[in-house]
Amino acid sequence: MKVLAIAMVNLRRVFREKTNIFFIVITPIATVLMMGLLFGGGQEVRLGVVSGPGPLAERLVKAVSEGERIRIERVGSEAELRSQIERGVIQAGLTLPANYDQELLAGRNVAVSFVARPGDPQALELGVWVRSVGGQEGALLRAARFGTAEGKGSFEQTLAAAEKATVPGIEISVRTTGKALFPAGFNSFALSAPSLMIMFMFLTSLTAAIGIIETRLLGVSRRMYSTPTPVGVLVAGESLGRILIALVQGLLVMIGSALIFGVNWGDPFAAAVLLVVFSLVGGGAALLLGSVFHVPGPAISLALLLGLGLAALGGVMVPLESFSGTMQAIAHITPHAWAYEAFAELVRHGGGVADILPQLGVLLAFAAVLFGIGMSRLRQALIH
Amino acid sequence: MSDAVLACDGLRKQYGQMVAVDGIGFSIAEGETYGLLGPNGAGKTTSIAMIVGVLARDAGDVLIDGQKHDVNSVKTKSLIGYVPQEMALYPDLTARQNLRFFGRMYGLSRNDIKRKTDEVLEIIGLADRADETIGGFSGGMMRRLNIGVGLIHRPRLLILDEPTVGVDPQSRNAILDSVEQLAGEGVAVLYTTHYMEEAERLCDRVGIVDKGRMQAEGTRRELVAMVGEHDRVTLTAEGDLARAAAALREMPEARQVSHDESRIELMVPEAGVVLARALHEVTEAGVTVRSVEVREPDLEAVFLHLTGKALRD
Ligand SMILES: Nc1ncnc2c1ncn2[C@@H]1O[C@H](COP(=O)(O)OP(=O)(O)OP(=O)(O)O)[C@@H](O)[C@H]1O
Ligand SMILES: [Mg+2]
Repeated sequence: MKVLAIAMVNLRRVFREKTNIFFIVITPIATVLMMGLLFGGGQEVRLGVVSGPGPLAERLVKAVSEGERIRIERVGSEAELRSQIERGVIQAGLTLPANYDQELLAGRNVAVSFVARPGDPQALELGVWVRSVGGQEGALLRAARFGTAEGKGSFEQTLAAAEKATVPGIEISVRTTGKALFPAGFNSFALSAPSLMIMFMFLTSLTAAIGIIETRLLGVSRRMYSTPTPVGVLVAGESLGRILIALVQGLLVMIGSALIFGVNWGDPFAAAVLLVVFSLVGGGAALLLGSVFHVPGPAISLALLLGLGLAALGGVMVPLESFSGTMQAIAHITPHAWAYEAFAELVRHGGGVADILPQLGVLLAFAAVLFGIGMSRLRQALIH
Repeated sequence: MSDAVLACDGLRKQYGQMVAVDGIGFSIAEGETYGLLGPNGAGKTTSIAMIVGVLARDAGDVLIDGQKHDVNSVKTKSLIGYVPQEMALYPDLTARQNLRFFGRMYGLSRNDIKRKTDEVLEIIGLADRADETIGGFSGGMMRRLNIGVGLIHRPRLLILDEPTVGVDPQSRNAILDSVEQLAGEGVAVLYTTHYMEEAERLCDRVGIVDKGRMQAEGTRRELVAMVGEHDRVTLTAEGDLARAAAALREMPEARQVSHDESRIELMVPEAGVVLARALHEVTEAGVTVRSVEVREPDLEAVFLHLTGKALRD
């Protein structure tokens, strides 16, 4: 059980350092919290509204607010509206002129403006909604005005009549096909927790590779090799150490996010299997990194570069689903993308082990290759 | 040399064009302490690494207790206690945790680990600091723990690579005492050092290494004889010292006889053999001898003679 002794001494060294506990446990959970809050509140879209008083203005705002997942935020001035949009406090804005009611009652056209940041998909969706509401509202107002002009009563009367009348028109029905990428009513923490866990586990593994380099530099590896311990056992012990560090972190993030934020990780068995398999990938990468470098400096730089770079490329920073086809294909050269897909299947769609077999297979292949090269490199580094 | 605990022969290691160790061989018997002396870069550590079996060798043989030994020899590795030149310890663990960890690496049972850990902590004088993280230890304490780890499994062969570098005189004395005691208990010791007085005090035999080769080997006296060094005898005396000096010059063994008002100095091959006769000659010349001082030639002189270098740069 020397393998275990070596692995445990690694684990003990990492977790007795308070800053490590901070980075390994607190940071990921805090990040899950942050991301959850950012995209939280059931994915509501905030629409800022600047409008003067008047029942007609209120009618329009109320009609707009009846859309799905829209929250209306009253804003004092157009300047403030713009600034809030630019800062991302609200996704888009709607400006009604202060004399909206008077102008309409006087039979004149009014211009209502919709403001959004370019290229914001949520704002785009909102714009479509506002336009369609505006169109309907405009039709009613025109009908009411027509009635008044024809002497059929006051504007209020004709408007009420127009609302009641069933005017034939075109109705567009919207249906969906396939599975929703993000099921409705989905816990917003559950959206980011798997991604962040994947990113942090891999990052932690890579930085834990420094431990292997340190142990070699200190001469502890060589001393361990002077004991009656086969080199294979030493290498296996160091490897297991890295795997356990990743596994402990993953487990803490999983349990922490489930308890604190109510994230449902799906089938517990499948989640556990996936967690272990991804720890193997992280451990393998750590072993390779730790055996290739002789001094910590460049290894740390590369660990950060790979830890963040592969996360970005692998679709765990920006959702993989938002990637173009080519980029999605490229993303799959990272283990992150495969792990992301597998977690998405478990967490969002209630899948089991059988549903993520392809991903598990690919991840195991990643682990096997990384361990294969890492072990032989470390063996070489130890005795020559 | 079948009873040797360690026998090595023709050890060779080459790094690129540089031959770090070139045909080194020697043997150490039970209870014997063997010193490896050499300047920086002589190849001491490289030789030791090949002997311990942590470095693959290009050529040569190593026998531990008569059994073939190399990097893969798990069985014979359990007979060796290795104290590397660097502090090969986990700085963020306590002294006890370090000892226990290596106890496990040597395959000791739980009970043995507990017992040996306490025993070793006592020997190295760290029992009262055992549960402190060693990052805060002084150089001397670190060195002692470094040695302690090599003792945890009661080795037959103890290999110490410059174990007293940067150590205060008190710790150094404690270390030398422990080594002497272990040798007294039958442990074979291989010791490298830059400190001549340590080698003189501890080592039964010494090998002088330079540029990867064994330059000379033997007991201190053999080495000294090899380079023709003499004992220096100083007599403090009263009387006609000029006449006494003249009488001494008549002795065939005496060299470089000189005198002033109170002292006569001379060189002889071996003071133990010649001294009685010399004193007789001096007394015959009517001189009263107050004190006699004999300074044997030391390894420093031998070393300088063989390598043309001082032992410490
Ligand atoms: N891994 C290595 N690669 C290249 N050269 C090496 C390596 N290890 C040792 N050497 C060289 O081999 C020679 C012998 O080194 P070694 O460490 O054995 O000397 P040493 O006698 O122990 O010296 P010191 O008294 O300074 O400890 C030196 O010139 C050293 O630079
Ligand atoms: Mg050395």
